[in-house]
Amino acid sequence: MDVQDILRGIQPIPGDVTAVRTVQETRPPEEFADAYAAEVNLKCASKVIKALDKAYPRDASQPLNHLRRFAKHEHLSPTLQSTLLKADPSSTQTIFVLIPPPLPDVASLKDLLTPFAPPGSDITLTTLRVPLYAPLNSAQADKWTKSLWPVLFNPAAPRGFVAPPPQILTRARDSIQPKAGRYLALAYEVAREAEQSGLGRGVGAVVVDPEIDARLDDEIIDDDEGDDKRWSDAVVAVAGDARYSRLEGSTGPNPSRLMYNADVEGGPELHALMRVVDLIAGKRRADDHDDTSASPPLRPLEAHFLSQSDTTFSSTSNPTHQTTSTSTSTPETDPDTPTNPEKFQKTESGAIPVPSTSVPTPTSTSTTAPPETNPRIRSRTQGGYLCTDLDVYLTHEPCLCCSMGLLLSRFRAVIFPRGGRMRTGGLASEPCIGPVAVADSGEGGDNEGGEGEDKGDVGSGKEEGNENERLYYGLHWRKELNWRALGFEFVEAIAGADGNGESVQFHA
Amino acid sequence: MTENPTLSIMGLEDNIPDTQPGDADHDYFMQQALLMGEKALATGETPVGCVLVYDQKIVARGMNDTNKSMNGTRHAEFLAIEEVLQSYPRSILRSTDLYVTVEPCVMCASALRQYQIRSVYFGCGNERFGGTGSILSLHSDHTIDPPYPVYGGLFREEAIMLLRRFYIQENDKAPKPRPKKNRQLNTKVEYE
Repeated sequence: MDVQDILRGIQPIPGDVTAVRTVQETRPPEEFADAYAAEVNLKCASKVIKALDKAYPRDASQPLNHLRRFAKHEHLSPTLQSTLLKADPSSTQTIFVLIPPPLPDVASLKDLLTPFAPPGSDITLTTLRVPLYAPLNSAQADKWTKSLWPVLFNPAAPRGFVAPPPQILTRARDSIQPKAGRYLALAYEVAREAEQSGLGRGVGAVVVDPEIDARLDDEIIDDDEGDDKRWSDAVVAVAGDARYSRLEGSTGPNPSRLMYNADVEGGPELHALMRVVDLIAGKRRADDHDDTSASPPLRPLEAHFLSQSDTTFSSTSNPTHQTTSTSTSTPETDPDTPTNPEKFQKTESGAIPVPSTSVPTPTSTSTTAPPETNPRIRSRTQGGYLCTDLDVYLTHEPCLCCSMGLLLSRFRAVIFPRGGRMRTGGLASEPCIGPVAVADSGEGGDNEGGEGEDKGDVGSGKEEGNENERLYYGLHWRKELNWRALGFEFVEAIAGADGNGESVQFHA
Repeated sequence: MTENPTLSIMGLEDNIPDTQPGDADHDYFMQQALLMGEKALATGETPVGCVLVYDQKIVARGMNDTNKSMNGTRHAEFLAIEEVLQSYPRSILRSTDLYVTVEPCVMCASALRQYQIRSVYFGCGNERFGGTGSILSLHSDHTIDPPYPVYGGLFREEAIMLLRRFYIQENDKAPKPRPKKNRQLNTKVEYE
């Protein structure tokens, strides 16, 4: 069959998955406030801290752990050295203590500190500026240390809504990386189908259930080729663009795609992302009786994956293979013996694969133990809800409308190729050129993989200049919005990795 | 349901203020949008309603439909646009105004821009998702489609009360419904 040929022919695109930084990271807020510094006797340092903490308890809602509490003379910024170090610049008998905001009353603070004053001198309070928020990277910490007061960068510090927790981001990236090239290659096939049909632009979307994907990895596949044949089993739905489906039919690619004319563009509800969301919603409504929904006709790849989603993946993924196994193989070695359908449900009982029939069935065929049909897209009554916990792979950076649509649909993650960046896109948070390297420096070994590629990946500059100027919304993870998703760019190893590869601007 | 929606609809209609001849049209259209919001509330959807107005006539109505459809993108604006496209070419949206009870979210604000809506009138702002001024300003940001003007605050209190009446309800679909018996509907709306 055609679809099977397409799936067999798909070759993974080589490349690396890298997180799209959040706008909070690319445009970090810098807020500062006044603090005092006072010179105290070095020997009293721990007593000073005790006295200060007792008199002025720290406010847990405004953690200032990134500010060093003490600074030795040589750790002060040049500016502070010139204002703070008066008499004896080489003294090692004293140290400077920071009194962070909110600033206490000067008189009582002086009284508190007087017992710890350097021998033969009084307490002098000097006002200085300190950053209220922890630095997002070591470069920022260095900058503040050199210009303000010594600042610490702690990569493990909780970052609130500034960015996804690093461990969650890293784990997701590591699970997405191995197969992203393949899912994107499928998305390009879906896109090709959409364009060839004349009903849409060449934009494709592939939705993967990462839980099925993880279990596929755990499956022991006896067949040499089994791995290859089953790679698409975690794909729960695909859809291509259909923005021309309301126009008069055209055979072959629609000529409208060569320009941007808003009147023939259809609307965002016909974009690939919105269509795949609607296909999944349709499956969720499977048990509803009064379901009436009209959509553009499904193309072969779309129909294939949608029908696949009616059943567990192990029982239908390879119909042809199943036919042969019926006559020749034994249950123990038959890769198509239905496994426990429970396995693919998101139950609390966990992910222990139940070994399938170890007792030979009388007829020795795989059809004697038909699984109950537990759809890969669970219906409303089975607990399915919107697109929660699913990942979506797109051939293009989605438009603002679709970017928000994927958040409202509660996708876990979105992945698009860097070469598919769009001027109208809603996810990128910064140009390809420029500041990417800043955040990487000094972060140690926690950024392997794609980050190295980034530095050599200099953009073409297309995104600059008046004509092609664009805004960077980083919509996937903004602290103001109620919903957030993990955002990743796929940096192709070969060519085209310099941003917008489309010659016509449109909303993807 | 904590209140009889019919009563509220009556209340709304009693409430038509004396306005200038020009404003009366805006009031009428927004009240029609509020009626769609009431309809959404009565069917268990987040109460947001809208109407599309072309040539002084309502050509489509929409209400939130995310729960029934299991599709989080089925906002009132999308349903109304879908309806208008069944009878008219897309290009009439360039001469069409939207009246919606709550500021369009980021998704809808972008969709309206892509559809080149003529102008948007909304009731109350949307502090969590608003795309025409509250969080983002997609009606005016630089992009490949022309900007559209936005007018907020039309029947703002009524739009807020609709939302409050929705959120005060007990959610019997939640695993552990939270009793909200003691909650009282706050009928005071502060001015911004």
